[in-house]
Amino acid sequence: MAIIEVNGLSKSYRVYQKPEGLLASFRGLFHRTYRDVRAVREIDLEVRQGEFVAFLGPNGAGKTTTLKLLSGVINPTSGSARVMGHVPWRRENAYRRRFALVMGQKNQLWWDLPAIESFRLHQRIYGVEPAAFHRNCDELTELLDIRPLLHQPVRELSLGERMKMELTAALLHAPDVLFLDEPTIGLDVVAQHQIQTFFRHYQEQRRITILLTSHYMKDVAALCRRVVIIARGRIQYDGSLAGIIDRFSGSKIVTFQFAEGQSAGDLSAYGEIVELREPKARLRIARNEVPRALAKVLASHAVADVSVEDPPLEEVIADLFTQVNGRPAEPDRGDAVGEPMDEVGGVVP
Amino acid sequence: MESPRRYLGILGAFARNSLMRDMAFRADFLIECASSVSWALMNVGLYAIIFRHTRMIGHDTGWGRDEFFVFMATTWFVHAIVQALFMPNAEEFSELIRTGNLDFALLKPIDTQFLVSFRKVDWSALSNLLSAGLLLAISLRGLARREPNPLTFDPVTLFLYPFYVMCGVAILYSVMIALASTSIWLGRNQTLYDFWFYITNFSRYPMEIYQRGWGRPLGAFFTFIVPVLVVVNVPARLLAQPLVPRASWEWPLAGFTVVATTGSLAASRWVFQRALASYRSASS
Repeated sequence: MAIIEVNGLSKSYRVYQKPEGLLASFRGLFHRTYRDVRAVREIDLEVRQGEFVAFLGPNGAGKTTTLKLLSGVINPTSGSARVMGHVPWRRENAYRRRFALVMGQKNQLWWDLPAIESFRLHQRIYGVEPAAFHRNCDELTELLDIRPLLHQPVRELSLGERMKMELTAALLHAPDVLFLDEPTIGLDVVAQHQIQTFFRHYQEQRRITILLTSHYMKDVAALCRRVVIIARGRIQYDGSLAGIIDRFSGSKIVTFQFAEGQSAGDLSAYGEIVELREPKARLRIARNEVPRALAKVLASHAVADVSVEDPPLEEVIADLFTQVNGRPAEPDRGDAVGEPMDEVGGVVP
Repeated sequence: MESPRRYLGILGAFARNSLMRDMAFRADFLIECASSVSWALMNVGLYAIIFRHTRMIGHDTGWGRDEFFVFMATTWFVHAIVQALFMPNAEEFSELIRTGNLDFALLKPIDTQFLVSFRKVDWSALSNLLSAGLLLAISLRGLARREPNPLTFDPVTLFLYPFYVMCGVAILYSVMIALASTSIWLGRNQTLYDFWFYITNFSRYPMEIYQRGWGRPLGAFFTFIVPVLVVVNVPARLLAQPLVPRASWEWPLAGFTVVATTGSLAASRWVFQRALASYRSASS
């Protein structure tokens, strides 16, 4: 059963373009030029209950905007969406009691008070029964290992500890859907790992639906079976993590370990040389060329060992993002980074 | 329909958290209380000096020293409540919009205007309530000995005075939240304090001072368009009874104040909702 249904959802913004210099600032008092930013463009998406979906994309791709649309923080320009049967931007309390949004770069706890005071406020706002509050609070603080810090002012916590407190606050009302916007940003590897472990455990136990945006492939690889890649406001891929490599990587990494005394010679005819430290050589070879190249090298060299691997996921995704960002704008729809518009919305000649 | 009890409970939690936060910075809290009370005392001193030179504001207006001090105490009541409950929140509202932190308010299963308006309480501003209470008690004692027409208290007045004080608070709150909401369209709005100062300046004196020359259109504007003149004038006039018998326009003005309060609240709600529909958050 689809718990999140999105059809043709779009969001555009007008952004003021301030030219350089004082004179331009004076001119800007009377006439301004705007750019139309199409942050999200007609996306379609369906997420079933209990799925853990990663939203990947370069900066400015539209990931966070999509999460904000689905959580009702902003209104769409066009299209429709339903989450658990609710239209998010109607901001019905019945909906807002059933989901949570965690933003790694924003803080909702009272800065000068211990986190427990913010938790109690959340209890009142969400109308959580005392027994459920204590049960959830105990479970979450135990899992995240933050119980001894509950009575320490938030401003005195480390970034990782603060994020754990933010997560606890967001989950106290036991939401059915959780939107996570870069929850591990800026954290050290230990804190990242702890939070990944927590999410995996919590999601397995509760079977809640989670949409995660992250730039850390480790988060994604550890948690999500399904990956949605969004770039320039459009969904470019929706499938498994392994499928990304199949679809977007046209090459394999082939490593040859040559026999003692065997020189590698000139291997550039077979593919791009990634690394050459004799007696070892790593080559990037086009997928369809791998059998032919392997046969030729094995025939002409004494080879002690050979391995064929997919390129690292980060590399594939980075290539994909670069390709998408480098693609020219679609003239009929306007660029994701926009066309200049004057104050009344017409295109500047 | 959301339960008023639930909202009261949340308001209590906001007040509790704010008090704990204020108490965490003891020195700052005490200095703020002391400066508020000192400012109040200096004001009383200044007007006490002025009333050594004149018996009344204007001719036959009835605003003598004790009557004016009732007016002043009423101003403090209204301002102390507005500054304690709404000023820090209205100021922060602009910042929430600019930084995109309003997102969190929109996620909560509670009326967003309520959340934005009551989130923080400035307890130190409430110290002026004590000053106001003291000044009111002293001036009423003086008015009870007034010759002629000593002040008598009736239960209706004792009920109406706090009611109209709350009407005044509601009118000022409406102006403030509507103004703060415009930050969503403007991106930044630093005129809040300035505007507050201009508005409260007009409401700080008995409305009789606007009865001559160009004061008439000004008085009409700040009574019927932006009704800040009724904020203090109506409750203070009810209690101090500067004119005996009462002026014929006093009760109609009191009736108008109820209409103005309802209208102001409805208009500010409309502006807030419209502004919220245009909210675009900030990139993270």
